[in-house]
Amino acid sequence: MTTVPVPSPALTVGRQGNYAGAVSRLAAFAADVGASWGLYTLGVALLNAALKLATGHSFTLSNHQVAAFIVLTFWEFLYFTYQWAVSGKTLGMAILGLQVVTREGAPISGRQAVFRTVGLGITLFLTVGIGFLGIVYQRDRRALNDYIAGTAVVYDWDARAARLRWIARKEGPAGAAAPQEHTV
Amino acid sequence: MSPNPIGNRVEQLAQSLAEHIVPLIVDAIDIDSILDKVDVEKIIERVDVDKIVERVDVQKIIDRVDVEQIIERVDINAIVNKIDIDSLVEQTELGSIIARSTTGVLTEVLDVIRAQGVGLDDFILRWGNRLIGRGKKVRDWPAGPPLLVGPRAIAPT
Repeated sequence: MTTVPVPSPALTVGRQGNYAGAVSRLAAFAADVGASWGLYTLGVALLNAALKLATGHSFTLSNHQVAAFIVLTFWEFLYFTYQWAVSGKTLGMAILGLQVVTREGAPISGRQAVFRTVGLGITLFLTVGIGFLGIVYQRDRRALNDYIAGTAVVYDWDARAARLRWIARKEGPAGAAAPQEHTV
Repeated sequence: MSPNPIGNRVEQLAQSLAEHIVPLIVDAIDIDSILDKVDVEKIIERVDVDKIVERVDVQKIIDRVDVEQIIERVDINAIVNKIDIDSLVEQTELGSIIARSTTGVLTEVLDVIRAQGVGLDDFILRWGNRLIGRGKKVRDWPAGPPLLVGPRAIAPT
């Protein structure tokens, strides 16, 4: 159990629209990898069950490595591209309160979403992750995939509402003794 | 002006006399001493304010006031910015209302994760750049894209 005091406005309200940093983006990416992998596993299991039901034969995709690789690659491409194109954020980014925008701060296009996903693959596998160092060392905290797609990542969570909730929790329910710190 | 020439001249003479005499009289009068002698309280007591108010057509005055124009002149954003929302939430029932209506376990966890993420982002940015000897340069970096934070906003340190 950790005890967390109410964060300053500088860490919450004042950061909306600011460039997002490495930890938030890494955590969002980890959440996306977990979510996409979980959905892929679930989809493959459902496909196996359906095929077994229809044909009576068991089919395991992981036994066919090339097919599994192609399907997984396609799925990951679809997972990231679709979400970025539709809302500018993936599931992981929504959890961490991040948003992909253009360099100027406008919503991204479908084309940029495609380029960003391809760029993500290049940054991950061709540069072995070195392309991500731009998040810490570039003025506008952009990784290689951001440069490829002409995008940037910003904080987009409703920090004002969060701060009010925080203060409200600190105050406690009406009539109750007010705890001094927020406990998670 | 009088049609009679004699009357006209007399009138002019009276006017010039008045122009000379009236300032002399006014200068000679000590208005302060007169005012000192006047019992203003007594006058006020005799004034029937209720009667005056009854005569005033308040509705007519209200009708003449252009509320739209007044509202247009008021900078509501400046007023809102002056309100200390934090203390308002802390000192009123508003806080518990917000807490009861919006707080769930999930939002609570998300608030913590996001705020701590921002803190760690700052830490990594600061120390990552300090390690390569450009910790001070980070202060001049833009805080965000120009459309979202404005072109001159600078990253918090």
